[in-house]
Amino acid sequence: MDNKTVETISYLARLKLDKDKKEKITKDLENIIDFVAELQDINTEDIIPLSNPLEKLAPKREDSVTSKSRKEVFLLNSPESDQDYFIVPKVVE
Amino acid sequence: MSWETVIGLEVHAQLSTNTKLFSSASTKFGSEPNTQVDLVDLGLPGVLPVVNKDAFKKAIRFGLAIEAEINQESSFDRKNYFYPDLPKGYQITQMTKPIVEGGSIEIDVDGDKKTINITRAHLEEDAGKSIHDAYPDKSVIDLNRAGTPLLEIVSEPEISSAKEAVSYMKALHQLVTFLDVCDGDMSQGSLRCDANVSIRKVGDAELGTRTEIKNINSFRFIEKAINFEIKRQIKLLESGEKVTQETRLYDSGKDETRPMRSKEFANDYRYFPDPDLLPVVISDDEMEEIRSTFPELPADKSRRYISEFQIDESEAEIISSSRELSNFFEVAVESKSDPKLAANLIVGEIGSLLNKDNIKIDESKLSSDNFNILLQRISDGTISKKIAKTILAEIWETGRNADEIINDQGLVQIQDENLLEEVITKVIKSNTKQVEDYKNGKDKLFGFFVGQVMKETQGKANPKAVNDLLKKALNS
Repeated sequence: MDNKTVETISYLARLKLDKDKKEKITKDLENIIDFVAELQDINTEDIIPLSNPLEKLAPKREDSVTSKSRKEVFLLNSPESDQDYFIVPKVVE
Repeated sequence: MSWETVIGLEVHAQLSTNTKLFSSASTKFGSEPNTQVDLVDLGLPGVLPVVNKDAFKKAIRFGLAIEAEINQESSFDRKNYFYPDLPKGYQITQMTKPIVEGGSIEIDVDGDKKTINITRAHLEEDAGKSIHDAYPDKSVIDLNRAGTPLLEIVSEPEISSAKEAVSYMKALHQLVTFLDVCDGDMSQGSLRCDANVSIRKVGDAELGTRTEIKNINSFRFIEKAINFEIKRQIKLLESGEKVTQETRLYDSGKDETRPMRSKEFANDYRYFPDPDLLPVVISDDEMEEIRSTFPELPADKSRRYISEFQIDESEAEIISSSRELSNFFEVAVESKSDPKLAANLIVGEIGSLLNKDNIKIDESKLSSDNFNILLQRISDGTISKKIAKTILAEIWETGRNADEIINDQGLVQIQDENLLEEVITKVIKSNTKQVEDYKNGKDKLFGFFVGQVMKETQGKANPKAVNDLLKKALNS
């Protein structure tokens, strides 16, 4: 696990790591990968990939509107909002 | 050096469902911001998404129409990235097992037919909307669109010009609106496309480096954006430079494409199966139900109209290409109206009125019943086709009953031979010069006499009677 990989992963997760944390996390990640790497030794040739361990299928919903607006409550959860919108830092192309 | 263009399109069609893909919030366009948002759309902890049955129905209907493979078992994956209009931090999509695979669409480029193969069509959720001009230094987010079902239709890289790309998009637009899968309103973003464009030397087996132009939302911009991109790439290659694989935006104001800043950092979406969603299985019974309500497709309709009603091919094609027009035509024919006459008026007069107002037939004031009355009155000789146009124009404005208009305005066609002979005698008397020229061989003048008679009768004379009587009078 090199420094660059750790930086990429933390960027993708939008986590800012200081130097000490980064060193610790590099070790942790190495341990996790070594632990999971054991799975690579298992022969999975004839096994169909399993996307979900439950032996059930997805229930389906009728296409009718039952949800009501809870705009005021939802906007209160935002760090910043006005009467209509969630307000975020400027993101523009 | 000569170059060839290779284009693949990814089209996002918003499905015309009432509710979102995973929540029962409304998908209606143009509502107050953030009023159509559910806990699931916000991605709050502890909520579980439940799939919308109709989104699957519509996706399958599209798959059947392009003769694709329908995966009766499909599943959902998470595509991870951060953007403020994506509250969960991931988009739910079908990466590994899409609902639709394969199939093809036939396009028409200046009369030449070409088949474009489809790689896949999968269900996924739309993001919310970011608005940048509300505050000088902030962006604002409206999540009404977040979670709206999209069908992403991916073509093989078999499109070889901007023109073909537009034809493909038009064919797709016609199909999804006909199938009632998507409302096709491009100005509202219901149908938008990403174009993957690359250039290679003619004869090269390998594809060149491609760029992806994002979110083009009109037929005109598809053509312009792709043409700009082709020119830009050729210029780069011819001056010995390389094309960089990147995502670009089309700026219609400047008519150019430019790289998107946010995509500079290579994305790694880290797809994995969504643990909140079980695989979705469409039973054989459900498939049967979808098949049984599958509409007759435009090409089949068109062939049937020609063989069953002997209408012109061009008229049959225009009528069958629109669900609304074909319904309107079929109602008229079922009520025993003359199919040829009905087709003629729908494509001609009604077509131009629809274009003028930019509306669909069911949004006009012309009802099927009233149209039938009008057709009957032409067939039984009460009015001429010319007068019918005047009446149509009035119905278009007021929605009044055709019979009422005919009676009130005294538009009943003149069939009375004595009356017509009187008018003809008058016309002949006051145009002696033209009569002489006609008798000396200027046959073309016949139309002039017909015109004069029509003028005298305010267009109400029966054209066939006028023709017969005029010939008799002039040749005597």
